Amino acid sequence: MSLSQMTNSRRDIFKFAGGAVAGALFTPAPWRLITDTALWSENWPGIPRPARGEIRFKFTNCALCPAGCAVRARCVGEQPVSLAGVRGGLCPFGLSAHHLPYHPARLKQGPILEATAAVFQGAGKRAPNGIAVLDLNPGRTVSWTYRRAMASLKGLYLAPESQPLAYDLSAAKTVLSIGAPLLDGWGTPANVLAARPNFRLIQAEAVESRTAMLADQWIQLAPGTESAFAQSIPSLPYAKDLSLVLGDAPEIPEINRQLGAYGKTVFARPEAPVPEAWSKNAAAVTELAGVPDHSISVLLIDESSAVSYIPWHRIQRKLVRENPLVVTFATTRGGYARYAQYALPTAVYPEVLDDIAPAVDCIHPTFRIAVPLVPPPAGVVNPADFVSALAGLPASNSLRERADAVHHTTQGTVLTYADNKETPLKDLTADAFWKSLNDGTRWDRPPGLSIPSTVSACQPAAGRPSSPEPPESPADLPLIAIREPYTPALVSPLMTKLYQESGLRLAPNRVALNPRDARAANLSNGARATLQTRIGKCSVEVTVDPAVPPGAVQVGCSPGIQDVCGPSSRAKVVSA
Amino acid sequence: MTSHTNNLPAARYGMAIDVDRCNGCGSCMVACAVENNVPPAAAGATDRTGLTWIRVFKIDNGAEGSERRSAFVPVLCQHCGKDAPCVSVCPQQAVDVDPATGIVGQMPERCLGCRYCMAACPYHARYFNWWDPAWPAGMEKTLNPDVAPRMRGVVEKCNFCHGRWHAAKAKAVANGKTAIDPTDYIPACVEACPSGAIHFGNLNDPATETAQDARLPDSFRMLESLATDPKIYYRSRKNWVREISRAPRPGAAAPRAGTAVPRPGTAAPRAGTAAPSAGAAKESSRG
Repeated sequence: MSLSQMTNSRRDIFKFAGGAVAGALFTPAPWRLITDTALWSENWPGIPRPARGEIRFKFTNCALCPAGCAVRARCVGEQPVSLAGVRGGLCPFGLSAHHLPYHPARLKQGPILEATAAVFQGAGKRAPNGIAVLDLNPGRTVSWTYRRAMASLKGLYLAPESQPLAYDLSAAKTVLSIGAPLLDGWGTPANVLAARPNFRLIQAEAVESRTAMLADQWIQLAPGTESAFAQSIPSLPYAKDLSLVLGDAPEIPEINRQLGAYGKTVFARPEAPVPEAWSKNAAAVTELAGVPDHSISVLLIDESSAVSYIPWHRIQRKLVRENPLVVTFATTRGGYARYAQYALPTAVYPEVLDDIAPAVDCIHPTFRIAVPLVPPPAGVVNPADFVSALAGLPASNSLRERADAVHHTTQGTVLTYADNKETPLKDLTADAFWKSLNDGTRWDRPPGLSIPSTVSACQPAAGRPSSPEPPESPADLPLIAIREPYTPALVSPLMTKLYQESGLRLAPNRVALNPRDARAANLSNGARATLQTRIGKCSVEVTVDPAVPPGAVQVGCSPGIQDVCGPSSRAKVVSA
Repeated sequence: MTSHTNNLPAARYGMAIDVDRCNGCGSCMVACAVENNVPPAAAGATDRTGLTWIRVFKIDNGAEGSERRSAFVPVLCQHCGKDAPCVSVCPQQAVDVDPATGIVGQMPERCLGCRYCMAACPYHARYFNWWDPAWPAGMEKTLNPDVAPRMRGVVEKCNFCHGRWHAAKAKAVANGKTAIDPTDYIPACVEACPSGAIHFGNLNDPATETAQDARLPDSFRMLESLATDPKIYYRSRKNWVREISRAPRPGAAAPRAGTAVPRPGTAAPRAGTAAPSAGAAKESSRG
């Protein structure tokens, strides 16, 4: 080979470069480069770095519902980073409640000064009994503040129920539940599940709910026939074996009376003791339905920790026709804030200092406090202070006063969550009792010391809705509504794991239809639609679910849906 | 996930989930997301693109009307044995089985996002980060300091709350012990379950409740015919639930009895299972 033949052409250079590139792919270098790039990208700005610090544990009670589950908060410094149950697990809402202060829909600012001026002005001009407070989580210490304030102002204290009942599942042998979500947020999860092995559960409802799945027997009812089934209970072959009937049907209190459940498994819901001066000067508890129509000129609604929702049209019926003033204490704009002139922001659990209302499954008095785990933001209003100032009540620490009233009884025991120890109340000083309440404890008066007052039966409230409801036409509204259990108004963004990413729970703004009904309405899974009832209509998203019986629509529990559609309402879903 | 656990005896952590006690509340899913800094769903996330290290599926017996019966089945990484399909396909060695614990670990910093492991996993228990992790303003303060958030483009999955295992190990070592106290290491989903449907423990220790549950006649594992040796045991007294779990894919007939891999401590294939009727498993169409 001559030297002239060894000259490199341009083609050779290209061949060498191409070969080098191809050969490099078979070396570790590019893979290492990709790995390093991946490592580097993990630290891109935008990916948050968790704060570090001393790990502490705090104890409190969950204030999202009257179950008031004991909570252990794992904190980095003062910031809670996870919540867990102390005696039994928490529901998903309670587990993620430490996210609520940061929820994008959380109300943080409001026209407090303007609302104060308007309420004072309105209260001065009102007609007799024209001012009222609607408390959607009655039985708390703040509820007594409202009652005292309304007694002073000669106003009304309104609650969803005037005579709430408590049920003793541990004394029941056979429970018939007509649609009550017994195993899905009805009572304190730990108590219900502890009692569950000892009673037979018969669940009667139209859809196989979470409770129906785990019941000993599921009786599938035709949608909308719950009342008819309740009326037929005395003639059922197993009626004599029933210890308790649960549900919302109006016939159920009378059936429980016939079964002899009052005094055995059904009791008046007991409250912790209150100072004597409070009970002497408190307005009576009035059901909203018992208020004459068009009689309230100033309505204050406390929905800050609501455990139920009353459709707006029932409230609106009670307001005067001209210029009613509605002020709501709320954590979001999604509830009554849509209708109120003023929506005032309040602290949200776990920012709030509040006691827990009596639980539906607890037949002896308890006293528990939700202690703030994080401070509330500036700009929120304390509803109790607002109403107290309106009535001119002297400023005081009402929670401490009530704790002293409890301590005065010297009865019962105090359970400390941190060490699971029970201490007789008589062994604690008033200051020590108050301190222990703030450190995460609960006071219980054991059943042996409690004398539950039996109730004869729930009497219908004095004034039921005066305007008769118009008849519903099956032709126009072919579906019958089945409602999901109530959920808090504000839930953690992580609930999207259940609502959106897995479809485990029906999201509050969704309705579920049987595939046949969905096809008939030309709707598909995820479609936007309009839910129509005789009350009104509401924008919803559609879930197609074969578990929903034909002819029914399972509705979420957003305030918008509840405003237009109650349980067993006739409805129609049309494409938006 | 390489563990330096020479001083601690080897364990084989697993779960026993009682399907008949699960009420589908979703506490396990939320507790898992809180513990492992899994972000809320992105706006476009669906049941196929979401991140749920543990997901509760609703299955039914395929009947109509009042004969229809449903059950909730929590599904997470089944923590297969040495022949875990995801381990063998990973080109980056980003997946391994920890010999000290039996936990199948995922190292997101090694992951390329090729998703071979997702394709290989017969349980669909792996999830890909389609979006950058994002929390509402302020909520990042609530992140667990023991777990690093993952970036977009990597696969993630259940690791039995490995941060908790590290904490328990550190505590054991600090106390001069050679073994972890079982009460110190409980994954978040187990701790959160209100109905006590999930038991967790060392399957190699016959004294643990989990190991005892695994030997009960009504216990089973998913897709046992694949011989992946999963460490998640399920229990149900309902035949149709057991049949669905044995099917190689939803809606298909289950393999014949006798092909199942024996459970620990048992020499014979499971007895008492019904003939393979076509239990049609359907994921809930909600979503």
